[in-house]
Amino acid sequence: MADSYMGKFLLVDLTNETSRTVPTPQWLKDQFVGGKGFGAKLLYDLVPKGVDALSPENVLMFFPGPLTATAAPSMRACAVTKSPLTGTYLDSFFGGRLGPEIKYAGYDGIIIFGKAPKPVYLWINDDQVEIRPAGTIWGTNALEANALIKEEINEPDAMLAAIGQAGENQALFALICCEYNRQAGRGGAGAVMGSKNLKAVAIKGSRLVKVHDPEAFDKACKGACEEIALSAECATYTDGGTSSAVPWSNEIGTLPYKNYYTQSDPQADKIGDEGQKKHLFLGKAACFGCPIRCSQMGAVRTGKYSHFITDIVEYESAALLGSNLDIHDPRAVAHLTKLCDEYGLDSMSAGGVIGFAFEAAERGVIQAPDGVVLAFGNVQGAEYLIKSMAFQEDDLGRLLSQGVKRASAVLGKQTMDYAMHVKGLECPAWGPRGTPGMGLAYMTADRGGCHQRGFMIGYDMGDEYNGEPVEMYQTKGRAGILIELQNFLAGTDALVKCDFSQCGVSPESFAAMLSAATGRQVDEDYFDLLGERIWNQTRMFNVREGFLAKDDTLPRRFVKQVLPDGPHKGHRVSEADMDYMRRDYYNIRGWDEEGRPENVTLQRLGLDKAPVFKERP
Amino acid sequence: MAKTFFIKTNFDLCTGCSLCQLACSQRLLGGYNPHRALLRITHKAENLYHFPTVCNQCENAYCANVCPAKAISRDPETRALVVDRDKCIGCNMCRKYCPIEMVGVDPDLKKSVKCDLCGGDPACVAACPTGALELAYRVVPDEEEEEPNG
Ligand code: SF4
Ligand code: SF4
Ligand code: SF4
Repeated sequence: MADSYMGKFLLVDLTNETSRTVPTPQWLKDQFVGGKGFGAKLLYDLVPKGVDALSPENVLMFFPGPLTATAAPSMRACAVTKSPLTGTYLDSFFGGRLGPEIKYAGYDGIIIFGKAPKPVYLWINDDQVEIRPAGTIWGTNALEANALIKEEINEPDAMLAAIGQAGENQALFALICCEYNRQAGRGGAGAVMGSKNLKAVAIKGSRLVKVHDPEAFDKACKGACEEIALSAECATYTDGGTSSAVPWSNEIGTLPYKNYYTQSDPQADKIGDEGQKKHLFLGKAACFGCPIRCSQMGAVRTGKYSHFITDIVEYESAALLGSNLDIHDPRAVAHLTKLCDEYGLDSMSAGGVIGFAFEAAERGVIQAPDGVVLAFGNVQGAEYLIKSMAFQEDDLGRLLSQGVKRASAVLGKQTMDYAMHVKGLECPAWGPRGTPGMGLAYMTADRGGCHQRGFMIGYDMGDEYNGEPVEMYQTKGRAGILIELQNFLAGTDALVKCDFSQCGVSPESFAAMLSAATGRQVDEDYFDLLGERIWNQTRMFNVREGFLAKDDTLPRRFVKQVLPDGPHKGHRVSEADMDYMRRDYYNIRGWDEEGRPENVTLQRLGLDKAPVFKERP
Repeated sequence: MAKTFFIKTNFDLCTGCSLCQLACSQRLLGGYNPHRALLRITHKAENLYHFPTVCNQCENAYCANVCPAKAISRDPETRALVVDRDKCIGCNMCRKYCPIEMVGVDPDLKKSVKCDLCGGDPACVAACPTGALELAYRVVPDEEEEEPNG
């Protein structure tokens, strides 16, 4: 009977320039489903303890999910590897058209081992897999590489994952550009690709993706689309993507301003939806199979930075390359974001690093090169740093391209007060002083400082949870809520859902689509347990790498410095707050006091005797 | 007077989501793949524009004119040009001469496939969330209403 899996993985060995396929194991499908689930299990099995993330022993994997490439609305894919920035498990999700193409070519995942002797790119056209010399394509930016490769293989419809110069040079927060305007952004997957001498993966496929029960599947997809159409939150994304979060975040006092010195910015509205509608937006674009169409495509038509095409500047980029740097011309922020995309740097980490550098320069800890001004509000300074980090042009660029954690370790102890990262991953743009649940989310996210594994801001601001209003500023009860969110999101990240459609689609609909697609009947609670299994699996990886309670912590500024102004004036997340929430969290998770999953927990989740994936290319 | 139905495309509303192609390939082949659908979406300028292209259900239909097996004829209801798979010999002549490549032999079916307007209730139009595809008709004066292959 048909199911929505393609039945095989593609294993590529770049060292020996060979590839082969292996069947997708049934136990893996049953216990880990796809996407993040496959990534969590296979990274644990394939990458032994202590491997250097930039060595040939690390693997780089791309996984769609069982609903990707079907008519299920808004399904994506992920890149999974060991992060060179944090040393933790890393998954990075991307929308667009690349994920589905992996399945159309016939694969449930692509797993890349080793390191090519010379720069190459991979061209996967159904069963035909070629490792081709990258030649002069090496050295180009991500969009140039995209165009050159499509021309060389003469396939305008192929989909590409490509790195820019930052990935080639192994800047530790380099991204993978999954055309267009879609990025596997966080945690440095692009640096891993660069370390393997792999410029790009081009894919095209002619296979059909079939579902187990087409009639039931069609009904379930229509139901999910209806839920999206009725969802007020999804409607906000249709209207202006995440740009309207800028004024909202400012209003509720979570918007980082000047390297998180404070969490409100008097000029925030200029770079939010209002400013972007005026200066950037022209029309809407959607990821593959998505009715929400959150992309607001546009162009910078006026001013110093015209002319270039830009997608919406998403909340995180607008906040971190805008407010956080005290820059308020949306065209300038779009320009900086586009530079990051082209050179292949994560715009979030870039914003965090530049904010750190501006503060360090203003405090006299680093010296700006001749002719460059490193100060808040200075667009040229930010532009200079982006280029020098991507091209590794000077010592400053090389230092900062390692992220704020390493830079601050070199620059001296006092800079740690304003090095804004968790486990080495620069913080997202939701300052947690005043919203302790969000702080706990950063402390415990599997890839370091991340807001997408459990978004607590609404509850921290007093929304209801299970019919009860949540009390602001309290640490009590936060762990329980966060764990439920993390589990459900990790479970649906196995599909691989989009975070935005997830606001509209109900657990029942996800279950109905998965059941009809695969023939395995699941109910709406299924994702909670699946997610808990996946979450513990990623924790096992991180614990094996030596991450323990001491690492589940927040940057010092959030802990030591109370907010000087704004709605949460006087608030911070103190040591005592962190201690309480961490303990509560470990306790509910069934982890010991160091954050190691207890044996009973692993047994309950079937992780104590899960099979081991032993295939190698 | 007769009415020829066709799908009018509004590229200004198209977001490039491919939901139309998913619906079409599922109906035609029982599985999903936009490259196998009977309409095309061309993505341009880093996704700033998306152009849907659908069969025009031409009044002067080159695909039907060149078919050596006379396998392409008009549906009496919609006047859409429809391939008779029993007659199709799989020579792909239709593809060679359709100006917009909207017809051709499917690799699995080994027969020519083209848009038949889903018999008058187009799945792609129903799936499109933005109104970028519309069912429309043009009025054909009686004297021009010739049968192709006539
Ligand atoms: S397939 Fe081409 S030639 Fe034939 S009716 Fe359609 S657009 Fe015209
Ligand atoms: S009308 Fe039917 S056959 Fe024609 S393109 Fe649309 S879905 Fe395909
Ligand atoms: S469904 Fe509509 S908006 Fe989406 S690609 Fe097709 S024509 Fe464009």
